Amino acid sequence: MAVVRSTLPKVTRRAQARLGIIFTLPLLALVVVFFGFPLVSSLYYSVVAYDGVTASPAFVGFANYVQMFTDPEVWHALSNNLIWIVIGTISPLFLGLVFALLLWSVKRGSRFYRLALFFPYVMPGVAIGIAWSWIYDPLYGWLNTILRDVGLGSLATGWLGNPSTALYAVLVTAIWGASGFVMLIFLSALQNVDMELMDAARLDRTSVAQRVWHVVLPQITPVFIMVTTVTLVGGFSVFDIVFIMTSGGPDNASDVLGTYAFTNAFQLNNISYGTTIALLITALSIPCAVILNRIQRRLSIEGQGV
Amino acid sequence: MTAMTSRAPAMGAARTSGYRKTSKRERVNRVGRHTTLMILSLLWLAPMLLIISTAFKTRQDVQVNPFGLFTSFSFQNLVSAWTEGHFNDYLLNSILLSLPSTALVLILSTFAGYAFARLPFFGRTVAFYFVILGLLVPFFAYMIPLYFQMRGMGLLDTLPGVDLVLTTTSVPFGTFFMRAFFADLPGELEQSARIDGCSEWQVFWRVMLPLVRPGISALGVFTFLQTWNNFLVPILYLPGGSYRPLTTGLFQFISGRQIDIGPLAAATLITLIPVVAVFLVMQRQVAEGFISGAIKG
Repeated sequence: MAVVRSTLPKVTRRAQARLGIIFTLPLLALVVVFFGFPLVSSLYYSVVAYDGVTASPAFVGFANYVQMFTDPEVWHALSNNLIWIVIGTISPLFLGLVFALLLWSVKRGSRFYRLALFFPYVMPGVAIGIAWSWIYDPLYGWLNTILRDVGLGSLATGWLGNPSTALYAVLVTAIWGASGFVMLIFLSALQNVDMELMDAARLDRTSVAQRVWHVVLPQITPVFIMVTTVTLVGGFSVFDIVFIMTSGGPDNASDVLGTYAFTNAFQLNNISYGTTIALLITALSIPCAVILNRIQRRLSIEGQGV
Repeated sequence: MTAMTSRAPAMGAARTSGYRKTSKRERVNRVGRHTTLMILSLLWLAPMLLIISTAFKTRQDVQVNPFGLFTSFSFQNLVSAWTEGHFNDYLLNSILLSLPSTALVLILSTFAGYAFARLPFFGRTVAFYFVILGLLVPFFAYMIPLYFQMRGMGLLDTLPGVDLVLTTTSVPFGTFFMRAFFADLPGELEQSARIDGCSEWQVFWRVMLPLVRPGISALGVFTFLQTWNNFLVPILYLPGGSYRPLTTGLFQFISGRQIDIGPLAAATLITLIPVVAVFLVMQRQVAEGFISGAIKG
């Protein structure tokens, strides 16, 4: 008895293992049924021609993949995703950083500003879509009203109905929604910035831009990379806001891979083809997510050192 | 650093004038900062103000001036969204979708998070990575086959079925989050509880669980908002329309042929009120949940 006592007793270890299994079993069952199983089926769906009705659909090999890579609409949607990723990553990063720096030393009212700027991020996408489609309304919308008032009425257009502006109009909405979130992350990172270094730089009569570039940014680089990757990964699987505001229209102009996959599967009944496109989204976003994970792990190791 | 020390004496000589100058500049700076932040905050709140303003307009005013701010006041729109628009039903459905799934996420993640952090058993690492895979794989990857699987299981167009899907999509993050909380607790606590004669269950229930309460509440708020706002899951798996929650109810509203802006604004407001309430009352937990949500991806 006394010998086993030095480490964990065998009884304890056995009790722990039993409880551990009891604690995780319900979760594992749920995840297997509603995640694991459909995920594997997804691969199966992509090599058959399933229309949602036929019990045993015909095996078609890589036909869906061939169709996908030769479908100009897929490439168009993917290029929209890339536009979304580039603009939709850079702009919130920039705005979020500016907000965070503006808020950094503010004490009075800081909570109000923070809440106001972050609030859009917790709003349901449908509510955001509705409010912004009113702002973009061709007739009564604020945007066109303002343009007409300042004498730029010639620029007024139906922002969501015009194929050349639809994607960008939705993108602006998304940037508005995400900036406050980026700000919040930066604000928590700024708390760790060495203030003595900032004061030293200030005494050296550096400009604000110099201080941000040489003192602040190097110290929050890991967080900067992290936020970049988060928005980047999200850029491949963007769906809600585009689907709600334009449904990928007009005439597929604002289609992204997500809306195109959805339309194929649930409106055109090309279940297998839609699934294949959905797998493309997965294949594109997982590497980014893995990189993100790596960075995070490095971050947390650094965090423990400090 | 050397530049600093060599400059220090000179600084002392010019102290008085230099000091006053910076303080004046600082004051201008502060006013500028507040003005900018105020303008930005208003810009960022503008869509919300637009929804509120339009929701409370009278019927005639909506027709001529739908987006002019606060030009009239009535409850007509709210009443018609609530009764004719069926948003009372949608609200109930939203509650029946987000509360049970949030509760389920909290229970499953807390138990599993504890096991993954502190109860070694055979196959634990593999099981953990399997659950965490859900953080890497986007919902798109399996949403389409899941539709037909749900149909086969008779869970399509049922609230319990969609509750389970919502739970599954949120539980990888929850487990990860709770595991981190349990892993941070000191091992001595566990040891001394065991010496005091606690069973493994009592160690968990009496000693460890009370210590992670802040984590549970942050996760709860985060999950509630995520499920309340979820659009894709109910639009996919509740296609029949008899259990429509607020989000897809709103979408149904805007995809109709003629849009009645007043009641639509009121319905949007109904959808937003719980979000605003949770957001204002539990600011800290919301921020904590979302920040760690990002850190996990």
